[in-house]
Amino acid sequence: MHETALVKNLIHKLQAICAEEGADRVVDIAVWLGALCHMSPDHFSDHFRQEAAGTCAERARLQIETSDDINHANAQDVLLQSLELETDDEALQ
Amino acid sequence: MTRKTIKVNYLARVEGEGALNVTVRDGQVSSAELQIFEPPRFFEALLRGRDYSEAPDVTARICGICPVAYQMSSVHAMENALGIEVGGPLRALRRLLYCGEWIESHALHIYMLHAPDFLGYAGAVDMARDYPDIVKRGLALKKAGNAIMALVGGREIHPINVRVGGFYRTPTRKELAPLAETLKQAREDALATVRWTATLDIPEAERDYHLVALHHPDEYPMNAGRIISSRGLDIAVEDYNQHFVESHVQRSTALHSHLREHDCYLVGPLARYSLNFDKLSPLAREAAKEAGLGATCNNPFQSIVVRSIEVLYACDEALRLIASYEEPEQPFVPHEPKASEGFGCTEAPRGLLFHRYQLDAEGRILEAQIVPPTSQNQPSIEADLKELVGGWLHLPADALRERCEQTIRNYDPCISCATHFLKLDVRHE
Ligand SMILES: [Zn+2]
Repeated sequence: MHETALVKNLIHKLQAICAEEGADRVVDIAVWLGALCHMSPDHFSDHFRQEAAGTCAERARLQIETSDDINHANAQDVLLQSLELETDDEALQ
Repeated sequence: MTRKTIKVNYLARVEGEGALNVTVRDGQVSSAELQIFEPPRFFEALLRGRDYSEAPDVTARICGICPVAYQMSSVHAMENALGIEVGGPLRALRRLLYCGEWIESHALHIYMLHAPDFLGYAGAVDMARDYPDIVKRGLALKKAGNAIMALVGGREIHPINVRVGGFYRTPTRKELAPLAETLKQAREDALATVRWTATLDIPEAERDYHLVALHHPDEYPMNAGRIISSRGLDIAVEDYNQHFVESHVQRSTALHSHLREHDCYLVGPLARYSLNFDKLSPLAREAAKEAGLGATCNNPFQSIVVRSIEVLYACDEALRLIASYEEPEQPFVPHEPKASEGFGCTEAPRGLLFHRYQLDAEGRILEAQIVPPTSQNQPSIEADLKELVGGWLHLPADALRERCEQTIRNYDPCISCATHFLKLDVRHE
C-alpha cells in the first residue's frame, strides 16, 4: 500500500520533469532505497512497472541502489537520484 | 535523438492517496466513504501463467510490511492444492517466521504510525525528540522481528527462503541460539510496550463488531485453523467463497468484502484476540489483565494495546519454538504438480488473508485470488467513521482530519502511510 503511493509520486515527478525538459521519454532512472523503506529492488521494480505503464517512464531501465544504513537520515525514504531523458529530434525543430 | 542526463536527488513522497468523503444531513453523518488503493489485483494478473513454485516470491512483493503473510497464505494454498502436509519442525519454523513478522509489523505500527497520534505528534520523528527512549525501544523490537525474518526467511524485507513444501534451507539449532538472546530482551521490551500503551489516552468507542478470525484447537492462530466468528460462523478455509463475497465499489480500486449473511465484519488483532484469548501464553494473558483488558475487546482504539499483547505473545512463542526446535531431516516435502485447486488462509498482522489458486497439470497458475485484510475491513472502517465523525463535526478541519486518520490507523499499517495524507471532504446536504 505505502509502496503504491510512493511509486505513484515518483512517476508524477518523472512526468513533470519530462514535460519541463520537453523530452519524450525516460530511458534510465537511478533510485536509492533506504534501509527502512520496506522495499527490495524486485519489490520496487514490480510496483514501478505497474505504475509506469502508459507513461513516459514505461520503458525506463531501473538502476537501484540499496542502503543498509538504518541510521541514515533518509533511511525510511526512496530517493530519485538521476535520470536520462530522450528526445526525438524532429520534435526539437 | 538527443539524450540528456539530469541529477535530481528527489525524495519520493507518499501522496494523499486516501480520500474520505463524509456526507452530513440534518447534523447527522449519513455516509462515510473511504477511497483507498490496493495493489493485490495487479499481482493476481501477474501470477497467471507462472509456475506454482513462483507464488511465494511474487506475492511477497505485494507488501513490504507484511511479505511473510502473503508468502504463508500462498504456500498453504499451493500445498492444499497439491495435497501435501507440512508438519513437525518445518511447520514450527514457519510459525517462528510468522512471529518475526508480527513483531516487526506490529512494532512499526505501534511506535512509528499509531502512538504519535495518541501523543499529539505528526510522526515518529517528531515524537523521538521528546520520547527518545520509547522510540528506541520500538526500533529495538522491530529489529528483533527483523532478526527472525533474516535468519529463517533469508532476507529482512522480502524473505526468499520460503518454498512450497517447506524451505530452501533450514537453520541449525546452533544458528538459532543467538536469536533466543535477542528475543529475551525483546520480550522485556514487549512487556514494557503493553504497560506503556495502556497508559495512553484511549477514546471510549465500543462498537458491536462481527469479529472474524482463524481458530485452532491448540494454538493462537497464525498459519492454520478454521474461520470462525463472534456470531457463530465456523467454516473450513476451503469454504471461504461460499460465505464471503467481494464486490467492486466505484469510488475505489479496492474490492470490498462482505459476509453473505451478516454484511460487514472485522478482521485483525481485535478479532484474533477476542476469539482466541484462552490460547495466548500465560504471560500475555497476565499482561492483558494488568493493562485492563478483558477476554474480548471491542474498542478499535484499544487495538494499539492488543497489538502490543500480540507482540509479547509472539516473542514468548518464538522463544518456545526455538527451545523445542529439532533440525528437520529434509528442508521441504517433495511433491509433483497436478491439475488442482487450493485454498490458504493465514493471520497477517492486520488480519485474515485469503488466497486461492487454480493450477493446470504442469503446475501453471490458471487463476489466482487474493483477498487482503484491507478490503475485508474497509466496510468496517467506514462504519467506524460514520458512527464517530458525527461527534467530531465541531472540530476545526485539521483536527477533524487527524481524528479520521487516527481512526483509520487503528486498522492497518499498510494503508496508514497513505491515509496520513487523507483528503477529507465533508459535504453538508
Ligand atoms: Zn502489508
